[in-house]
Amino acid sequence: LVSVRASSTAPTASASFDLRRYWTSLIAEVESELDAAMPMRPPESIHSAMRHAVLPGAGKEGAAKRAPPVLCVAACELLGAPRAAALPAAAALEMLHAASLVHDDLPCFDAAPTRRGRPSTHAAYGTDMAVLAGDALFPLAYTHVIAHTPSPDPVPHAVLLRVLAELARAVGSTGMAAGQFLDLAGAAALGEAEVMQVLTKKFGEMAECSAACGAMLGGAGPDEEAALRRYGRTIGVLYELVDDVRSASGNGKMRRNASVLRALGMDRALGIVEELKAQAKTEADRFADKYGDRVLPLYSFVDYAAERGFELQDAVATP
Amino acid sequence: MAFHPLAASRVHLAPLLPCPAAPASAAHRRRFSAIVATAAASATTEFDFKAYMGERAAAVNRALDAAIPAGEPPAALHDAMRYALLAGGKRVRPALCLAACGVAGGREAWAMPPAAAVEMVHTMSLVHDDLPCMDDDDLRRGKPTCHVVYGEPIAVLAGDALLSLAFRHMACVDSYPPDVDPEKHPARVVRAIGELARCIGSEGLVAGQVVDLEMTGSTGNVPLERLEYIHLHKTAALLEASVVIGAIIGGGSDEQIERLRKYARSIGLLFQVVDDILDVTKSSEELGKTAGKDLASDKTTYPKLLGLDKSREFAEKLLCEAREQLAEFDKEKAAPLLHLANYIAYRQN
Repeated sequence: LVSVRASSTAPTASASFDLRRYWTSLIAEVESELDAAMPMRPPESIHSAMRHAVLPGAGKEGAAKRAPPVLCVAACELLGAPRAAALPAAAALEMLHAASLVHDDLPCFDAAPTRRGRPSTHAAYGTDMAVLAGDALFPLAYTHVIAHTPSPDPVPHAVLLRVLAELARAVGSTGMAAGQFLDLAGAAALGEAEVMQVLTKKFGEMAECSAACGAMLGGAGPDEEAALRRYGRTIGVLYELVDDVRSASGNGKMRRNASVLRALGMDRALGIVEELKAQAKTEADRFADKYGDRVLPLYSFVDYAAERGFELQDAVATP
Repeated sequence: MAFHPLAASRVHLAPLLPCPAAPASAAHRRRFSAIVATAAASATTEFDFKAYMGERAAAVNRALDAAIPAGEPPAALHDAMRYALLAGGKRVRPALCLAACGVAGGREAWAMPPAAAVEMVHTMSLVHDDLPCMDDDDLRRGKPTCHVVYGEPIAVLAGDALLSLAFRHMACVDSYPPDVDPEKHPARVVRAIGELARCIGSEGLVAGQVVDLEMTGSTGNVPLERLEYIHLHKTAALLEASVVIGAIIGGGSDEQIERLRKYARSIGLLFQVVDDILDVTKSSEELGKTAGKDLASDKTTYPKLLGLDKSREFAEKLLCEAREQLAEFDKEKAAPLLHLANYIAYRQN
């Protein structure tokens, strides 16, 4: 893939912002937040299963990238709000994401024996415990946001409620669950519209939610929130699409099914990648004048999602 | 969850609380009923419990129907959610939530979103509980279970979606009537959502399910304390949430909320003790679910540990404890909660 400049006027991301360092330091903060949120206590079996699902450690495919929380914190910091306002929601995003993955890996779905190079939760703890671990991670996410978000100051209760509703929407029947449902329908027979719909629901919704939560917690106005939503959704789909392109061309990890490529064809897929990049950069451009260098993380995410300029797990292993 | 230890374990040691003691005889059930019928009549002569429950169930059903995104795809997922959620049922949890809001000084309509939320959570827990990897039940409320109709993966997703919808519906400002106090309402809702999440998570409802799972298959009887732990978490926790979030939304004081919490724990355990009793005394047809299942699966129950009569005595004691908590409230406003407690004690299915 050929690198595309953000825009003629926007500064290049690499000039003054190191995404790898930013991301790596945030992963450490999110991991410690998650670790503290899930102490071992009775009944130990369920808490152990929940920790297994959320804190996968460095398996053979490396540590979790924690993209949703990083996007959430970046959106919040873009608006000049303290990181502490967004960190609990960032951790909650990982809990919700993990809950969905635990259920998605179940024998009645993908029957995935491993995730990130380690046994999936049902493989390690049994199917019944995996169902319950997912069921317990959803409410833990809300508990965590409520207990740890600095509220009512600087985050008013009404804003906290909007964040909670947004988190619940993203994993609900019109969000991620819809994507998982559509995915069940059988990817082989899908056309372009359906494939893009699956990607948007399964991955776009979660990324939109990350950016939207960061926006709300950072005190965004309606226009800013809407722009960050569009930006997040675009980034989420872009990231997955590039993953498929890379696995098809042998550059990335192999996915279980390359249905996107099968449905779209490589040329069309690359065309969509360019469209999504341009869209995401257009959204980021809206913030460039007002927020100056704070917009740099947004540009660099676009480049990273499209180019995968570095391997994040290396950065985690040797900070 | 830090439950105060209830006294099931002391049922054969300590005397019953100031309640008419029932002799362990064959006529026990009839006499037990007579006692309550008198008490109910003296509390509020005009209160029509059947009408109250009928109206609340209808209102809750309308709220549930309206809460599922209409016309939005995927239709089959929303169908599965509707199938599980609108299958009928007595709507005891929503009724508790609404009644608690009223007792705490609020308008019942304020608590309709949380009332719908607890029913969604309850339904979700049933859908997942019925899965082949869990209890493997084919029949629920007299109808085929969700996974039998829609398949396992959709049942898992429908449950997850109902759980999410519960929190989304409760958090959305648009779910509430316009006359809520604009100053105090958001903080109350945040607190109520925190209560609900805590009560159904790994230290509440799920904890009960986990310990229950770990007991299944173990030989010999489960100790009484362990049985109580399971029921306090698996059943009482969601009843506690229903009552407490209703009281919070209604603007109850901390003291009122804690009193109602104790009430809810007592009737929560009562609910399960009665369930155990019904399982051995009623047919599948009467129950709308498989009867005698506990016996067949060699599951530990109160009748098995204490015997049927002691179990009924314990139920009566729990009912008395619940009613004591209501004594401090306005009699008229507390009537629905009093009758709900009686109903839970004396239901026939």
